[in-house]
Amino acid sequence: MKNVRILFVDDETAFLDTIIKRMKKRGFNPERASSGNDALALLRENPIDIIVSDIRMPGMDGIELLGEVKKRYPKTEIILLTGHATSQDGVVGIKEGAFDYLSKPIEIDHLVSKIGQAFDKILRDEEKKKETEFRVKMEQQMVATKRLASLGTLAAGVAHEVNNPLAIINESAGWMGQILEKEELAEMPRKTDFKMALGKINNAVERARVITHQLLGIVKKDNAVLSEVNVGEFIDEIIQMAGVEIKSKDIKIIKHIDDTLTSVWIDPHQVRQILINLLTNAVHATPDGGKLFLALEDSDKDILFFIKDTGEGIPKENLEKIFEPFFTTKSPGNGTGLGLFIIKGIIEKLGGGIDVKSKLGVGTTFCITFPK
Amino acid sequence: MVKIPARILVVDDEVDFAEMLSLRLKEVGEIVLSVHNGQDCLKTLEEKDNIDVVILDIKMPGMDGIEVLKEIRKKFPIVEVIMLTGHGSAETAVKGLKLGAYDYLMKPADFTDLAAKLEGARKRSDEHKERIRAAELKLLLRKTGEF
Repeated sequence: MKNVRILFVDDETAFLDTIIKRMKKRGFNPERASSGNDALALLRENPIDIIVSDIRMPGMDGIELLGEVKKRYPKTEIILLTGHATSQDGVVGIKEGAFDYLSKPIEIDHLVSKIGQAFDKILRDEEKKKETEFRVKMEQQMVATKRLASLGTLAAGVAHEVNNPLAIINESAGWMGQILEKEELAEMPRKTDFKMALGKINNAVERARVITHQLLGIVKKDNAVLSEVNVGEFIDEIIQMAGVEIKSKDIKIIKHIDDTLTSVWIDPHQVRQILINLLTNAVHATPDGGKLFLALEDSDKDILFFIKDTGEGIPKENLEKIFEPFFTTKSPGNGTGLGLFIIKGIIEKLGGGIDVKSKLGVGTTFCITFPK
Repeated sequence: MVKIPARILVVDDEVDFAEMLSLRLKEVGEIVLSVHNGQDCLKTLEEKDNIDVVILDIKMPGMDGIEVLKEIRKKFPIVEVIMLTGHGSAETAVKGLKLGAYDYLMKPADFTDLAAKLEGARKRSDEHKERIRAAELKLLLRKTGEF
């Protein structure tokens, strides 16, 4: 309560001097202004919780000041001071949104208790606002989660239904391929054309298969199998698995592992899948000869993985969408837009979290946390 | 060496799939029959006692692949089973393996993978038959010895 920011506004200097001295004695440190305009000027520079203002002032009076303050600083509460004969003004003030009014001469204890009440109201309002904001956010998140969950179920169902006809196409094209190899068809006209077209069918089936299998992977309920993993070896293994592309693009990998982390308890299979996927993305994003940072940090409760590339970065409007299913900026056939969606699902199932920061022209950093 | 053809029974309610897979397997020299539900599968196994491997779809109307597998294990222990699933749930497939299936494949399957698994399944079936023959022979010899 002592740190409540108070502003006294009155055109009578003697009154201001006295009241401020008395307030200071009680441990407060109020600001002062001798007119409505002075008060507004001060408010522009300093945030104030409670204004105690005289009503009758030359120029802008207390009621006008109240109107301006309510318009510009709705969180600030105002206590009005009236002359003994003009308490009617105070009633007008309350109608206009003042917290309360006091008649002069004022009892200092009474004023302090009124300030306390006003401050409580500010705290309550803030609390209420935070609660409302939190509730709205939770509701939005729940809607999004539900939407994704039902989308996942639907996608898995569709994938299953598509797999069967896909399998028929696969076997039919495969059979034709087998027949083409037979001796009886050695002299078949335009054989290469048929082979070429069958090759296209096989490629398309393979593409569709990757998509359906990824979609089906979303609803897999595999439980985590934790084991103790040597951090250095684990990271080297992941770098090695993404190695071909790293070498062909001449990318320099800079890794940092906290000394306190020699071994960790994780699900190596799932974490490996996540890290390889993220590392491959980072390699794709990094220009030839660029740098890539891989860090593992130890915090109180969590293990933090950082994967940072020096690519062109992700535009802000895309940053919100990258975890949505089917969002991709790659050309058809080069990305399904499911990678990050699935990764996020796995991480959350393991009780962790994923966060991304990106700056255009500088690069992108993914941070994954896993509970220890 | 001439390859001895395997006798394969394809079980899938997707008629076109069963037909095409059968054609492909026949093309590489196997002897193939196909049926489209669990009951027919068990009936065929009863009628023909020389089937080596059953390629069994998991998701079928009526008796599903898992039930069929249990019956096969009970009544025809020498027959090997490869499960086929269009479903992503590896759990069902793992359940199949626990119940004694030789292996499983996800649809659409790669033919080379399937051929390799068929080869393995058949080998296991042959070994099984060989052990039974040896045991029978031993028994026979012992009996002869008694006389």
